[in-house]
Amino acid sequence: MNIGILSKRTTNFTAKIRSYYEQEGYNVKIYTIKNLSINDSLMENDFFILKSKKLQLLYAGYFLEANNIPVIPNTKISFKCKHRIEASFLIKSLGFNSPQIFLGTFEAIKQELDKSYFPLISKPIMGSGSRGVKLINSLRDFKEDNNKIFYLEKLIVGIHYIAYFINDNICTCEKKPLVDEHASVILIKTPSDIKDIVLKWKKKYNLLFGHLDIVRETTTNKLYIVDVGTFPEFSNWKCKEDPVSRIGDVIIKRYEIIINKQIIKSKK
Amino acid sequence: MIKIGLIIDKYHLEKKVNEFLGYLKTVVDVSIYLEELYLLDSSKSNFNEDIFFVKGKGELLLNLVKLIENETSIPVINSSKAIWLCFDRFLNSVLLKKAGIDVPDFSINPVGVSPPFTDYIIKNVIDQKNYAFKPKTRKINGHLQVSDERALNEAIKGKEKYQFFYYQKFIKSKWEFKVYSIGEDFYFYKQIPVLINPDKMKTRIEINPIPELREKVIQIKRLLDLKITSVDFLKSKDNVYYVSDVNSTPNFNYIKNGPKIVGDYLIEQTKK
Repeated sequence: MNIGILSKRTTNFTAKIRSYYEQEGYNVKIYTIKNLSINDSLMENDFFILKSKKLQLLYAGYFLEANNIPVIPNTKISFKCKHRIEASFLIKSLGFNSPQIFLGTFEAIKQELDKSYFPLISKPIMGSGSRGVKLINSLRDFKEDNNKIFYLEKLIVGIHYIAYFINDNICTCEKKPLVDEHASVILIKTPSDIKDIVLKWKKKYNLLFGHLDIVRETTTNKLYIVDVGTFPEFSNWKCKEDPVSRIGDVIIKRYEIIINKQIIKSKK
Repeated sequence: MIKIGLIIDKYHLEKKVNEFLGYLKTVVDVSIYLEELYLLDSSKSNFNEDIFFVKGKGELLLNLVKLIENETSIPVINSSKAIWLCFDRFLNSVLLKKAGIDVPDFSINPVGVSPPFTDYIIKNVIDQKNYAFKPKTRKINGHLQVSDERALNEAIKGKEKYQFFYYQKFIKSKWEFKVYSIGEDFYFYKQIPVLINPDKMKTRIEINPIPELREKVIQIKRLLDLKITSVDFLKSKDNVYYVSDVNSTPNFNYIKNGPKIVGDYLIEQTKK
């Protein structure tokens, strides 16, 4: 079987899962933005793993699914999790809290934003993790550029958690606020309210694995989901099980289910 | 009185909707949401409009439409899905091709990697901003290679977050056919392709309806969730009509009584 991996890099988790599959006897090809051409040449693979969500890789996902080549995790949910406003709709549709969002030009922010909302967090609309994330304390922290639309989130002050999940196995850590996925964390027993959120999230969006960044607000004790991801690096997975083999296995099982459905559909 | 919300950017407000607004304000209340000055606040979704009409496709407009769709039942024309799929050439080509509608062959390739066809146009993959097609044409070994200045700037100068080109196979056509559709109404025109004569309006003429194009536009509207659109077609030497562009914010000033037709259509939609 030929497996394609759509990834921004050939190292880290991508390299590990490639090794795992090669040891299992599969052929694996990694496509990065440097070698990915999106046309019929991609059809030589049986299915694809969508590891990263750069635009070119998402395009490949949409193209492949339109041509009945399975993509895991699927492209639509991967895109929505990467798009912060779409992600907030996903979170709210489950009845969970997400931070208040503001979107506008510098001029609109200057004129319309209630300044008591500062400090806010500026983030790229398309993104996850800490890349491009900046704390904004006042209007002076903006680069005045009226062609730019700024995405801002209300800062939730509290305890920050990262909750990874693979199937029903949840691995939760406490972490410092506004640091990247790779910064040091402390493994904790998953609190029951966080477990409840993770399992509902996973079930609703039919996810095999992923992560949620959650903050327990100090003043209200409410949980806010502040970031979601369909394929983290698992660099802070502190639990016993090996995430690479587990993820490798659940992906193969999902592929087999998709193919069986396609066969049944084609026979009808 | 009916209230229509106009979601628009400065460019369209200043250049494209004078007559439309002039008419609309005589028959309904109009509120304007201007991309450059509107602050989207996710906690505020108490809109009191009967319908929204979108003239523009910028990031804030698109996300405001998503918020309205997500938090209210107020109709928006066109929907966020329609706007997104129209300005993203790659996605609409994938979708239309899958549905069996003829689109020119296309490919996305990293900068420096040739596409799998020899005569092509490099277009900007995300046609979200307000600027005109600026083609650079060259012939190499008898093959036509056209590139849009915007596409080159976006991919090579690194202004956007991608370093690839969207290639569309070149379709030689004597005419470019343009079909406007507002609700159930259709308007047919043809003009010399802009690659040959950039002044498209100079050669544009109204033509009799072409049933085949009408059927294709109906199908495209359904697939892309469009209510108001214009679709461009090129006709190959073997008489196949290829879709070359789909627009979610057509310039209806080019249709006779276009602003009134659109205004009346929006009012009609509020009564459904």
